[in-house]
Amino acid sequence: MRYFLNRFLQLLLVFVIVTFTVLVVMRMGANSPEDLAIKLAGRPLSPEESADLISRYNLDANYVVQYLNWLKNLIFHFDLGYSPQANMPVEELLKPRVWTTILLGLYANFFGLLIAIPLAVHQAYRRDRLFDKVGSMATFIAVGIPGIVLGVFLKLLFVVHWQIFPSIGDKVYPWEDLHEHIMNFFLPALTLTIPIAAIYARLLRADMVMTLQSDFITLASAKGVPPGRVVWKHGLRNSLFSLVTALGTQLGALIGSAVLVETLFDLDGLGSQLVVSVLGRDLFTVQSFVAVIVLIVVVVNLMVDLSYALIDPRIRQARALG
Amino acid sequence: MTDVMTPDPTTTIDEQIDARFKKVRRRRIPKFGVMFGMTFLTVLIFLTVFADYLPFIRSPEAGVYVNGRLQSNYKLGPGYVAWWGTDGNGKDVFAKCIYFARYTLLIGISSTVIGLVVGGALGMLAGYFRGKTDRVISILVDCLLAIPALVLAIMLVSRLDDIKAEIPFLGWMSRLWQIILTLSILAVAPLARIVRAQTMALREREFVLASRSMGAGNARIVFREILPNLVPTMVTVAATGLGILIAAEGALAFIGVGIDTSWGFMINANRARLEKAWWATVFPCMMLFLTVLSFNLIGDNLSRRFDVREASV
Amino acid sequence: MSIGSPSNVTQAATREIAGPLLELTDVKTHFRTPRGLVRAVDGVSFTLERGKALGIVGESGSGKTILSRSIMGLLPTKGTERHGSIKFAGAEIGNKTRKQMRGIWGKEMAMIFQDPMTSLNPLMKIGDQIAEPLKIHLGMSKDDAMATARRLLQDVRIPEPDRRLQQYPHEMSGGMRQRVMIAIAMACGPTALFADEPTTALDVTVQAQILDVIAEQRRDRNMSLVLVTHDLGVVAGHTDEIAVMYGGKLVEKAPTRRLFAAMKMPYTEGLLASIPKLEEASHTRLNVIPGRPPDLVNPPKGCRFAPRCPYVSHKCLEEEPPLTVTPDDPAHSYACWYPVGSPEYHEAKARIASSVEAN
Repeated sequence: MRYFLNRFLQLLLVFVIVTFTVLVVMRMGANSPEDLAIKLAGRPLSPEESADLISRYNLDANYVVQYLNWLKNLIFHFDLGYSPQANMPVEELLKPRVWTTILLGLYANFFGLLIAIPLAVHQAYRRDRLFDKVGSMATFIAVGIPGIVLGVFLKLLFVVHWQIFPSIGDKVYPWEDLHEHIMNFFLPALTLTIPIAAIYARLLRADMVMTLQSDFITLASAKGVPPGRVVWKHGLRNSLFSLVTALGTQLGALIGSAVLVETLFDLDGLGSQLVVSVLGRDLFTVQSFVAVIVLIVVVVNLMVDLSYALIDPRIRQARALG
Repeated sequence: MTDVMTPDPTTTIDEQIDARFKKVRRRRIPKFGVMFGMTFLTVLIFLTVFADYLPFIRSPEAGVYVNGRLQSNYKLGPGYVAWWGTDGNGKDVFAKCIYFARYTLLIGISSTVIGLVVGGALGMLAGYFRGKTDRVISILVDCLLAIPALVLAIMLVSRLDDIKAEIPFLGWMSRLWQIILTLSILAVAPLARIVRAQTMALREREFVLASRSMGAGNARIVFREILPNLVPTMVTVAATGLGILIAAEGALAFIGVGIDTSWGFMINANRARLEKAWWATVFPCMMLFLTVLSFNLIGDNLSRRFDVREASV
Repeated sequence: MSIGSPSNVTQAATREIAGPLLELTDVKTHFRTPRGLVRAVDGVSFTLERGKALGIVGESGSGKTILSRSIMGLLPTKGTERHGSIKFAGAEIGNKTRKQMRGIWGKEMAMIFQDPMTSLNPLMKIGDQIAEPLKIHLGMSKDDAMATARRLLQDVRIPEPDRRLQQYPHEMSGGMRQRVMIAIAMACGPTALFADEPTTALDVTVQAQILDVIAEQRRDRNMSLVLVTHDLGVVAGHTDEIAVMYGGKLVEKAPTRRLFAAMKMPYTEGLLASIPKLEEASHTRLNVIPGRPPDLVNPPKGCRFAPRCPYVSHKCLEEEPPLTVTPDDPAHSYACWYPVGSPEYHEAKARIASSVEAN
């Protein structure tokens, strides 16, 4: 377990450095604490209001103190701050939008894996045949296609040409109205799913091709194990490393892609809100949103690390020994 | 005893070897993908560089006039007058696409080069010296990677807007340079990672040990032994990286944080009219897609040629 | 006898088979490669009786491994051609598809491979790996399969079988892993075992133990054994018959004792001579056979060993010697124009001796 403590501290350090840097970047360039207070409030302030904000958030001190102030508020008071742009506490901005982005991410990864795993396994099994070659070409293109291009193309196809989906819809939770929800989320989810599925498929295929050449696979066949079982039970389990690692990095990168997709399909989520906040110099919102994102990335990284031990007993033992 | 495969006693060993070699060499014709990529890029670069001198490319500023009337409001679809139609202001979509390629390529190449230099340097330092240097640099790289790239980019560009106004000596920085700087920073992290991994591997190879045993200092080893061997990897990653950075530039322009002479900007500006005037959105999309694809194809081919893993996604 | 006899279900010894168990007639295995047709196995014939052990000996590149895999049918189908007849228990298996062979693999014919570390699934418990063929071929329930697996571990003399069943391959030593491989192979009670260099990856001290375990299993189950190796020492004590392969062809075959006592092929003689002997002083030069194995795409005309044979004469380079049976022992055949003991052989030997003196 010492290993995890180490990793955890490392990732904590990353969290601190990143959030601190964001704070500095966002607050840089102000001429005076009063200036900063105005930026924070988004409107001109009376001297009392100004003084109040300055003392509350330590705006007259150096960045480190300001950061500690923010951190203290976050940890002890769960105070994410106030958004002058939206005229509401950041929490309220965050809450409804978190679900949208999380759902998008879940859909994309879930269906991405659902497509990628059988695709890659079959590709590796029937290596270099037509299916493999066509599949590789398709995944190559799907990986490289820029998000906006894919989104526009899908929109063109489904909204304009076939008219299946509405152009604009009210974002709706699945438990409120499933049909509406699917209507609104299908295209954005698909735009995210295709590149992710392609990445996973490529990684898994590469690993599986290597694994299937191993001796123990030949032995499994020589034991009389049917090929389906050989490939899925023996082959797949030994080929998961790249995939698991990718799952980790992708979940983080997803937020970035979500930004584009949410903007393109007019979905109101973390991503699109973040853009609005950055452009509107909404200091606290940006700070908090980024903190949430980095926290998610850190947690996911840790979980990915954990899962390596779950999959491979050799790693489990090596770590247990220190 | 019948032996079907009796070698032809009239040919010499040399001729037989030669015959086999010819068979091997013929198979090295580059595949379709790379050919396409290179052709497309060559044509694009040619068109965009010489656009001013090519008669069939209008100026992107000038409007398209038919019978003296400006074809604004997406009047013209793809056709003879304007190959790819006109946009909301009556400007030629084709011309804009070609001219904007200049900015895209400039941004892409500059960011990649800067990212390569900085990221490569960091990676080499981390990979060669290990220990504390490595740990510090690795944590920095981890931090860069922790923020989603697009989010970081938007933050940097918009803050640079503000800071630019405050600090006079940064006044020269046009949006273009802000973007180049931002994308360079984005490129540093993955490059540093790959270069670090390669450097660590190269460090243990015999030629490095040999060099050191002859008394070569660290600087010499890094520059004369390790760096030349990193070049194939760097070139490969640069090619694929170019594709990614160009896509990123498009995304930034799309969101409104980029320059307005960009395909991404065109896509965003015209997407409201997707139903009525698809051409104003689709053609810039196509340009973006094909350019990125071309670089990806070249990068993929290079990675196979130089046997570099981790270069392509 | 082993500790605890093999369970009834896996005991195949009772099955009666008329005639030889394995019958190969002019078996060839060719691979289509960009370089040309690789004739890895080029006309091998032999028979193997029930319960007997055959050793196949040769250098790397002689085709011995390909032969054993070819018999089992384990080679990839793309680019592979098999010719000739392979009969197992009277039935032709040379033309069967992998799908058809799957019923035989593990059940009637089993194979153990050279490197037990890479041949066992690193992520799967030992018990599960042994139980797998039991569940598939014999339809056993999980508990029955585990109980049988436990007994198999005892058969191959692995102590603390209960603990071992729950372990992973990397937690065991090389010798133990190889025993596990043997246990897996024995699981369904096959009538034929193919052992492909089973001891090469092991320490010398462990090699003998493994061979003993194999021999014990053989006796208990009346199982045939094909032991493929490059090491003559391995086959010496554990086989009834030895077949020597070179360049894809069978060049000598004889009952074990007779081969060592009265070999006919210069190649076999060379192999024997290359084994370092205990009586020799240390740092004595090893007698190696000079040269390299022949190119299997364009094998030399005539005898394939001729380019390296110390007694080579003109006829050897021109014509390929057929497999001849020795007059005094019908079980001993060889392919050589001037075998060991013939007048030409002695002449050549004298020639060599004099040229060595002259230097």
